[in-house]
Amino acid sequence: MSEKKKGILIPERYKPVLGAFIFFVVMLSAFIASSPDVFLSIGIYSAVFLSLPLFAIMGLSLVFVTAAGEIDLAFPSIIPLSGLAFAWTLQQTNLNFLLATIFSVVVGISCGLLNGFLVTKLGLSSLITTLGMNFALIGLCNVLNNGAVRTFEELNDTRIKSILVGSFGPIPAQMFWMVLISLVLGMIFHRHKFGLHVRVAGDNPEAGRAMGVNIERTKILCFTLVGLCASIVGILGILLLSTYFSTMGEAYLLPVLAAVFVGGTPVTGGKGTIGGLVIGATTVVFIQTGVVAAGLDGHWTSLGFGLVIVLSLLGHRKFSGRLTR
Amino acid sequence: MSNEPIVKLVNVNKSYGNVYALEDINLDFYPGEIVSLVGDNGAGKSTLTKIISGTEGPDTNGKIIVDNKEVTNWSSAKARARGIETVYQNRALSEQQSIYDNVFLGREITNRFGFINRKKEIEETETLMRKIGYTSKVWTPLSSVNKLSGGERQGVAISRAILFESRLVILDEPTTAMALTEAAEVLEFVSNLKKSGKSVVFISHNPWDAHAVADRFVILERGKIVFDGPKGSMSADDFIALLHKFAKKDIKS
Ligand SMILES: Nc1ncnc2c1ncn2[C@@H]1O[C@H](COP(=O)(O)OP(=O)(O)OP(=O)(O)O)[C@@H](O)[C@H]1O
Ligand SMILES: [Mg+2]
Repeated sequence: MSEKKKGILIPERYKPVLGAFIFFVVMLSAFIASSPDVFLSIGIYSAVFLSLPLFAIMGLSLVFVTAAGEIDLAFPSIIPLSGLAFAWTLQQTNLNFLLATIFSVVVGISCGLLNGFLVTKLGLSSLITTLGMNFALIGLCNVLNNGAVRTFEELNDTRIKSILVGSFGPIPAQMFWMVLISLVLGMIFHRHKFGLHVRVAGDNPEAGRAMGVNIERTKILCFTLVGLCASIVGILGILLLSTYFSTMGEAYLLPVLAAVFVGGTPVTGGKGTIGGLVIGATTVVFIQTGVVAAGLDGHWTSLGFGLVIVLSLLGHRKFSGRLTR
Repeated sequence: MSNEPIVKLVNVNKSYGNVYALEDINLDFYPGEIVSLVGDNGAGKSTLTKIISGTEGPDTNGKIIVDNKEVTNWSSAKARARGIETVYQNRALSEQQSIYDNVFLGREITNRFGFINRKKEIEETETLMRKIGYTSKVWTPLSSVNKLSGGERQGVAISRAILFESRLVILDEPTTAMALTEAAEVLEFVSNLKKSGKSVVFISHNPWDAHAVADRFVILERGKIVFDGPKGSMSADDFIALLHKFAKKDIKS
């Protein structure tokens, strides 16, 4: 247990971020070494930046839930359900974007609230509750959508689309939104009293209660944030492809969870890092895009994820002490 | 101690089902005094602190009088607002957070949007730590609690308890399960609390600790007060003999 006082002293709270960053650099170097022509061209980075914001925005909310000592597995279904609310309203109202957004956000938040209430008020396990909700919500979504693919080519030249998912030079506009949302949520997680209460909820809820912190409300708000972010991701995803299909959430589960853990947020709750999440999401999306770009079979992606998750957990443990247990 | 008591309990009873945890408790706590509250396991010490700190209500007939006025609907929020703070037996700290986050937990200094004023909280924490004599070359208010020793953790909990002008600090077994040096550290914190004008209720199973810090002893046995008197010139050995006398009455054989 003796502390070594030699070498550079890195403040405790930056260690997970630095760990995630080192891991990213190592992975990138490996990619570059294996196929330099692909990974030294700008194209691959544009491809990464296209989808990275969606995974990162989703992952940001997962950092809150995880730090609060819970887990949410329902988001892959909240994305298409709130997305359906968006797409349906667009069709019904002759592309009333504002109304569609509001309805989508309401649906997303409602799903989150429901999860939050089930977990905190009924005291159910969040793992099982949200897993069940994931099935229930995708079922509901499929029943309502009835297999329809909804396309919105009319949106293609609209201002709203170019602001949200257009591009500034080689950088997709959604990158800007990702950075903005990360900064806001980062401030809240690390500097706002709500963020502190979230971390206390995951570390020692009794300590929070003894000091008058409303732990239940804190947790419910975390699940609600997941619903909100899922709705944002749904909207951006639909705009990006100008198409809605009810399987749009399927690809999110593993990459988003991987981003959280690779980013240095421990499963055990009580702490987390927003900066780490963004780096973790970048790592994960890079593997996804990189494997394909390097001409490898898509099956390698799963293998890559698996390796990255396990290796990064080991790395974080070495680096910042107990992260995993 | 001729001044008025901060808290006065009159005929307080507390039962859990058919267990009488407290029976007819009459007890005063005066400003600037350290009261050592001792007694066997299950004697009712924690129950007594819970009633004073508002986390449990007494049975209907008793009275809690604070600053000479009977209080009604006593709650932990009200107790805190009147300057009564409790350090619970399990310390109630969030170990993965920093010292200053723990000290201000639930009472954060924020701007009007709820963002924490870290600079101010850290400064205040330093002041509080200095007040109780908690000085460390290694730890700063930014250190996370899971790095600290048991005694140091108790220091964090005690610092928290003297935030916002508290007057009466209740410490439920602050030295239990601690190494000698750690316990000595905590006793030092407790004496410094008194120096800064706080009253203390100190609960312990360790008669030496209880004797070292006390101005007055209260001995509880099976929910009843069997002794309430000043330390005066009583030595530690006298005190232990006194404890044995009451303990023997309970043991038959
Ligand atoms: N919530 C409760 N429900 C039922 N009985 C209780 C409860 N809390 C305390 N008691 C009982 O009341 C009595 C007094 O308990 P209390 O915790 O006050 O003792 P204590 O003096 O603090 O003991 P220790 O030294 O072990 O901490 C015990 O018989 C205990 O079993
Ligand atoms: Mg007790």
